[in-house]
Amino acid sequence: MAIMKRKQKVSDEIPTSSMADIAFLLLVFFLTTTVFNEERGLPIVLPEQSEEQDVSGRNLIFFIVQPDGRVIVRRGESEQEQVVAHTQVANILRTELAGNENLIAAIQTHPNAPYRHMVNVLDEVKLAGAERISLQEMEN
Amino acid sequence: MAIKDSGFKKKSGSDGSIPTSSMADIAFLLLIFFMVTTVFRKDRNRQIEWTTAEATEKIDEKRQNILHLWVQRDGSVWINDVLTPFEDISETVRPIYAENRELVVAIRGDSEVPYQQINTITEELQASGAVRVTFATRLEQRAMRARR
Repeated sequence: MAIMKRKQKVSDEIPTSSMADIAFLLLVFFLTTTVFNEERGLPIVLPEQSEEQDVSGRNLIFFIVQPDGRVIVRRGESEQEQVVAHTQVANILRTELAGNENLIAAIQTHPNAPYRHMVNVLDEVKLAGAERISLQEMEN
Repeated sequence: MAIKDSGFKKKSGSDGSIPTSSMADIAFLLLIFFMVTTVFRKDRNRQIEWTTAEATEKIDEKRQNILHLWVQRDGSVWINDVLTPFEDISETVRPIYAENRELVVAIRGDSEVPYQQINTITEELQASGAVRVTFATRLEQRAMRARR
């Protein structure tokens, strides 16, 4: 009986004063372990399927991406071709856009060209401020 | 003078200490709030070499609206940690798009993947109706560019 009594003396309540510390500790732990990963990239809206438009050749400029990264520039109807490095694409497109706001930048990529060459050209086209972009695979 | 003194005394009469008993409730409330608002990622990162672009933009979209589509160098496509053959991409994406019309597909392609495969993917995405796409890139600095 004596032993039982002694045990009763221990408080059977949860200590509430340290509860805040525990809760804050958990809070700080979760805050510090959270990793935010931002989504970054080049957004583009693909045309709906079956949505094919007839575009006049005057409003087109082709950037043909070769497997070695060089870019062939062809302006709409003209057969003239110009081989440039991809870093020049932005400047070319900028001057063309100044002359014709409705210009569509068509990026035609060779099937075997690495993805990064196409991204480089798309980057340049975006930098030039083109709103109308078309992505195509080059037909053999 | 006497009036001023008494006024001062009245103010200091209130308890100056922060009530610690309600602190736990506040902390737990914050904890639960952060736990509830956390959105877990559905897939793990894969080993790819990122493409870089100077025009890289931050995609201002809720995380649950973004679907990651990984294309590894060997041409394997992963959606939500599932290896997906090219011809099944549209079938995989269609129900996800039907559930969430705001869906943005982030194509995370390895820089060396032939464009043919990326083109197949965009065609599959068009077939599934998910036409909002981003080509995930890393921001490129001017200095890096000059060296290229």
